[in-house]
Amino acid sequence: MVRIELSEDLKEEMKKLREEIESLKEKLRDATEEKLRRGRGIYIDIGNRVHDYVEDVMEGVAEGIHGELEKSIFIGPRGVKILRRKGEPYEREDEVEVSFPRVAEVMSALGQEHRLKILNELMSGGKYVNELQEKLSEITGSTLSSHLKVLEEAGLVVQEKVRGRYLITMPGRTAYKMARRVTRFLERRNQE
Amino acid sequence: MNWQKYQLDNTVLKATEALTLWKTERGVMEVGEDTLAIPIKLDDQRKGYIFHGHGKLLLDTIVETEEGAVGRPVEKEVNEPFLMLGDTEKIQQHLTTASKEDFTKIGYENQQEFVAEAEDLYDQFFERGRTCGRQSFGEDHGSVFAFQNKDSKLDVLVVKGSKMVYKAKGMVFVSSENKVVLKSLSEVVLSRNGKLFVIRK
Repeated sequence: MVRIELSEDLKEEMKKLREEIESLKEKLRDATEEKLRRGRGIYIDIGNRVHDYVEDVMEGVAEGIHGELEKSIFIGPRGVKILRRKGEPYEREDEVEVSFPRVAEVMSALGQEHRLKILNELMSGGKYVNELQEKLSEITGSTLSSHLKVLEEAGLVVQEKVRGRYLITMPGRTAYKMARRVTRFLERRNQE
Repeated sequence: MNWQKYQLDNTVLKATEALTLWKTERGVMEVGEDTLAIPIKLDDQRKGYIFHGHGKLLLDTIVETEEGAVGRPVEKEVNEPFLMLGDTEKIQQHLTTASKEDFTKIGYENQQEFVAEAEDLYDQFFERGRTCGRQSFGEDHGSVFAFQNKDSKLDVLVVKGSKMVYKAKGMVFVSSENKVVLKSLSEVVLSRNGKLFVIRK
């Protein structure tokens, strides 16, 4: 049998913890008794509960981020190295399965001159419909709305529900840049 | 330690007109006319309500970055009872005593049915510790909303000025001035002054 000798510090720490647990139990007993005595009323600590709650949420988020970082990023003396997660094979972009109808939906949303112009306007920041209308005066109000709807359904833009601005999404930005790059590449090939 | 007592009032009220309970650039919480309300009191002062009627919650839980926008807005019809703690002064001017017809309009047989529902929500909110003190609420001190979700758990919205924390099933959204954090099931997005950091799971 192995006997473990506890250090004085550890003994002291354990003693403090026991005292703290006892004090918490006592407070819980008092609160419960008071609650039973007064019927429906519930006593709560009004110290900093909202702050505690928000802190809990933030801690949860921070822990999640930290956890993810630990899995994927190694910061060492020679700099930052981004790693693959253990046991998880690297998934190449072109190996991810995407349904053809979805690809067609996104590509058809891109395949319209006015919609490309809308995306181009949104590249510089979120805009209200009237701002877009001003910039794209050749498009009527109803046509602009229907184009925005197509772009939104494809996930290339998103509309704020409160302020009402339209924003280009991260995939929308990538898709717009990709469309321009492919076209530029083809143009160059045609000129050669 | 300072202990205070929140209690549900005995009176049941209704909104005489549509009310905006909270509004900022990022979100709006509204309730329609005839929405039922039970005051939540602290030392005989109204500190909040449990509402039930036709409500609407809009939240722009979107992170705007130089690389494009991430996230989707929340647009939710709130047709279940929900709790609010915060500035009650403006609200109470637009509330009057509810009649029997008002309960049937919302789908209750009588007042007791609504009170029982409100008590359940009250217990769920206060007994789980997601509560706050007298100093934390009011016009300058922000508000807390708690909505029951489909899993009978609480989605909680905490707002103060332009700061906002929304915790719902599968997502947490925190916005404070130029900093935004969005945590969903698939990714964590952090943005500060438009600069972006994304971690995909």
